[in-house]
Amino acid sequence: MSVPGRRSVVSRRGPQPTATYPHATVEGDLVWVTAQAGRDPGDGELVAGGLGGQLDRAISNLAGILEDCGSSLDRVIRTQIMLVGEPDFDAIDAVYGRRFGDPLPVRTIWGVNFLAAEPGHEVVRVQLDCVASLR
Amino acid sequence: MPDDQVFTTKEAPIPRGPYVHARKHGGLVWVTGQIGRDPESGDFVRGGFEAEFNQAIDNLEAILEAAGSSLDRVVRTQIEFVNESDLDAMNRIYGERFRDPLPARTSFGVAFLWKGAKVQIDCVAAAD
Repeated sequence: MSVPGRRSVVSRRGPQPTATYPHATVEGDLVWVTAQAGRDPGDGELVAGGLGGQLDRAISNLAGILEDCGSSLDRVIRTQIMLVGEPDFDAIDAVYGRRFGDPLPVRTIWGVNFLAAEPGHEVVRVQLDCVASLR
Repeated sequence: MPDDQVFTTKEAPIPRGPYVHARKHGGLVWVTGQIGRDPESGDFVRGGFEAEFNQAIDNLEAILEAAGSSLDRVVRTQIEFVNESDLDAMNRIYGERFRDPLPARTSFGVAFLWKGAKVQIDCVAAAD
């Protein structure tokens, strides 16, 4: 159903949604982005490189989606990060700190038991979502 | 670059990572998840879950005030906690600290939090 004033966005720059969700919605001057894992936008496969590699790719997916919505990484207000397995916050910060600059977003991180994956094939170590502004 | 205001206050534990305490945008203040660390020492407070949760809410309150808001203008909270056995204490302390008009709230159990924290709380609040 279409809601006046709101846009739902599916971008070619993020892995194609595998269930009933868009990549993002735009309402007012805020962009709400669906959580991204470290999947290649082309083939949907999880990238190599463990936690750091997956987070780097996931942030690239967020960046592409944000840009297709008219926003960008440097307009992110808040991120949420969900982490599986070893609580390696230093690895998170190493990648995250390279990708996000001033003004830094607010952030909340927590550990979960599992994230959506292809059963038996792979371990999704991390996903992150965000709220960003258009201006 | 957005014209958002960014807030980090000495009245709450200094960020130990690439984030700020709060962002103000369009009349809302968004606050980073706070845990039971003492603002001066940066260490976890002693006293278990109850002490940690009270300290985390103290930290949230200090950040909100630095950003021109306050606990009674919180619109939404999100609470993550590690042990299900702390649920009753969580609800009791929360009820002591948040008053009418109560915010919307989501709370859930998690596998782990930063450096063994037992509980974490973040919020979105209305600003001046």
